[in-house]
Amino acid sequence: MSLLARFRQGMQAAVPIWIVFVPSSIAWGIAAQRHGLSFNEAIFMSAWVYSGPAQFAVLAPLAENKSAMQVLIAGFLMNLRFLPMSTALTPFFRGVKRMPLLVSSHVISASSFIVPYVQFQKERASAEYASSATSPENGYRNLMFFLGVGITSFLVWITGTGTGFGIALRFPHRFDEALLFILPGYFAGLLVVETKGLPMMLVCLGSLIAALPGAVISSGWGWLATAIGVATLVWGVEQWKIHASRSF
Amino acid sequence: MGFMALAMRALPQVFLAGQEFPEAWDRWLRYVSYGLISSIISVTLFVSGSQVETSAAPRRALALLVAVMIARATGSAVTGMLAGALLTLFVGWFSL
Repeated sequence: MSLLARFRQGMQAAVPIWIVFVPSSIAWGIAAQRHGLSFNEAIFMSAWVYSGPAQFAVLAPLAENKSAMQVLIAGFLMNLRFLPMSTALTPFFRGVKRMPLLVSSHVISASSFIVPYVQFQKERASAEYASSATSPENGYRNLMFFLGVGITSFLVWITGTGTGFGIALRFPHRFDEALLFILPGYFAGLLVVETKGLPMMLVCLGSLIAALPGAVISSGWGWLATAIGVATLVWGVEQWKIHASRSF
Repeated sequence: MGFMALAMRALPQVFLAGQEFPEAWDRWLRYVSYGLISSIISVTLFVSGSQVETSAAPRRALALLVAVMIARATGSAVTGMLAGALLTLFVGWFSL
């Protein structure tokens, strides 16, 4: 498959993300307008930070004129999640030069991570992948698929931000609840459709529940710590079972 | 904040690109990534600041449950999400 065809394949896979990003980015634009950000500030933050949860998280501290350090810490903690997500993608970009990776990494988001990641996992499991896994061409093909998802989703996010900002004053509040639900609702659906096996279900369910007390203890890092804790616990038990079964 | 977000995204790409991790590490990364996405769902729907939104939590939990069940039944995350979003709209209108 040519690189262009691979990019188009990524675009097709991104259509559900666009459907989710349109209302979510509009919700962000509305929230930014209501919290007193200017149009340029809202667009700049969407383009430069490009992280829905982090953008929402810093809106209140910004509106309340909290210290820059507090805003930075909130943003930093929210963005820590990109570290394992980006790391999980790296094996699939074998042979790609650093500069394209540096530039393309900007469009990694939770959505544009999980769709290519699930796709790459499926391809890795197929027999066809095994023969071409180590070739640099395969790394570039994977990068093109990722960019097909990431760039188009990024553009939808920016456009939606502008639209949301423009319609904020005329937008009825009764739709706020549905707008809030769309992104997490999509993530939940994606996890349910794509996750297989008991350990993964335990990780998802455990993280979902443990995040609540975690966020209450610390809204910045509590939910991150509980997710990493739950994942490591399930992984540890699985590792222990694997070692135990080998020793018998 | 944008620089920090870029650093989190770019550092693994620049320094670890193409590296095959041992199977156990690969699985740990997968679990952590999915766990973080699950946490985002929870925090976005049920937490505001550092408080659980107890008044909104039941209807959002119901919408989440419906979204999950429909996504599971249809195999489509978008269909599940739309069903959940519609439910939140209906519940919102009836409670007004």
